[in-house]
Amino acid sequence: MTGTGNVRGRTVGAGVFGALLFLPVFFLSSRIAAAGPGARYALPWALFAAGIGAAIVYTGRVSFFRRIFFSVSALAFLVHFKLGMLYKVFNVTCSKDAPFCHIAMAPYFTGYLYQQYLAFMSGGWKLWGPLTLGAAWLFVTLAIGRGWCSWACFYGGIDDGLRALPRRALLKPGAWAARFRDLPAALLVFLLLASFAYMLPVYCLWLCPFKLTGEFLDAERSTRALQYGLMGLALAALTLGPLLTKKRVFCSYLCPFAAWQAFWGRINPFRVTPAEACSGCGACARVCPMSAIKSGPGGRAEVLAYCNLCGECVEACPAGGLRYTLFGLELPGGGALAGFLTAQNFYVYSALTLGAVFSSLWAPAALKDVIGALAR
Amino acid sequence: MPALFAEGFLLGLSTGFYCLASCLPLLAPYMLAEGGGTWKPNLLIFLRFAGGRLAAYALFALLATLAGRAGRYALPGWAVPASLLACGLLMTALALLRTAGGGKALCALERGLSPALKRLPLAMGFATGINICPPFAAGFLRLVGLADLPKGFAYFGGFFVSTTLFLTPVLLGTPWLGRRANEIGRLTLLVAGLWFCLLGLKGLI
Repeated sequence: MTGTGNVRGRTVGAGVFGALLFLPVFFLSSRIAAAGPGARYALPWALFAAGIGAAIVYTGRVSFFRRIFFSVSALAFLVHFKLGMLYKVFNVTCSKDAPFCHIAMAPYFTGYLYQQYLAFMSGGWKLWGPLTLGAAWLFVTLAIGRGWCSWACFYGGIDDGLRALPRRALLKPGAWAARFRDLPAALLVFLLLASFAYMLPVYCLWLCPFKLTGEFLDAERSTRALQYGLMGLALAALTLGPLLTKKRVFCSYLCPFAAWQAFWGRINPFRVTPAEACSGCGACARVCPMSAIKSGPGGRAEVLAYCNLCGECVEACPAGGLRYTLFGLELPGGGALAGFLTAQNFYVYSALTLGAVFSSLWAPAALKDVIGALAR
Repeated sequence: MPALFAEGFLLGLSTGFYCLASCLPLLAPYMLAEGGGTWKPNLLIFLRFAGGRLAAYALFALLATLAGRAGRYALPGWAVPASLLACGLLMTALALLRTAGGGKALCALERGLSPALKRLPLAMGFATGINICPPFAAGFLRLVGLADLPKGFAYFGGFFVSTTLFLTPVLLGTPWLGRRANEIGRLTLLVAGLWFCLLGLKGLI
């Protein structure tokens, strides 16, 4: 009887959660899609997101279903946005304006500030795109903080999806993994300085794995070869890295935005926190795709600032020793809704809504592309 | 002479932002990697860097005078990329030694190499000093016209003082420099070192 009651309770909870998620996602996604492929293409995307949310609440498995959503979103990005850019590979125009990409934003921050200064001095500050982006970034950081890297980032979705494909890691991360864990922070500092010095988006010009299809290559032959080399290296880290190590190599070691968000993510109240039940078995550290868990005092798990709240460790811990918390609380309230109004559900709702609305910039359009290709 | 000092000072004041942008990628990673949580060691690093720049400016004052007298420009074209390459190699070596040592300097570094590497800011300052930027080139041409050594020193002295003012904000990070910042700084030094190696090689080839 209790089991049946639990199943019914979970089913109702999952249904309510899915419906609550569907409404804002469909409302906002259809408005975004209306400007592109058409509002009707937002419906399946919103239903998909709501289904993922319902599955998480029903099963309690955050990371498994999150990864499905995240990878599908990244795949849609590749289908619609990046394959479209392949046509421009041989475009000879050399446009080096900073793109409005979140990864470029962080290391080119000083450049944006300078652009704002120029816009302000020319009286055109209201037209300043980065100001809007800055506000959007602040909202995202307050809503999900470092969760951006595991729920919304299209680069991360590729890394995370590929990571799940092999059964076992062919390469085990050695001592170097911990020694170079701060490389994204170092890259961020250097790129901030270099971008400031050249007033160019240095990350996009030299490291972005997707600029192989863009217009950022230098006219000079040897410089262009070097750009190809570095971009190829980054592309290998993004694709081969996770396949060989089952870790998110690009996100953990080459993404400056990961370091940026690790720093500013402190202002967000959601955390993954080790509970008293932690036995120090190390299962969480082994599965953490970001190498963001280390053994702390007494062997207990210590979650580093690089944690992006993917939930992999929460699922892997045999003793249930890691939990999502909000302001350090699990929020196990009393009453009929005790199992529903948890920190985990609040976080999943926040992250999934934001991730689904953000990816409606390309996911409904990708759906239209696929339908169009099949219809031909 | 004071008029020429003021002229150089004003030129530096009006273009110091450019100096800040070109000097920070060299100075800031080193400061982050090797600086401390107190002002004194950081000030020493800063002064060494400034000393390197001053030496480069003095050299240019001399060269401008000679060039003015001889009617031609005397610094060989390989000097700037070669100095950038040397700085890049030193920065990379220091970063690798520190990182390989797990945050501590290797024994060899502590015993024999440390004094030389501690003068790295001097070399970096010199490398940025001889790296000709547009305002610097304007000053150089002014001195070629003057072709007078004391006047050249006065002019570049003023230029040095005012541009150095723009670099002082790098010291503001001092209270936040600790072990963790040093660890990140060493990796930044490594990335910056490799970058300057590439720039130097590209210039030489």
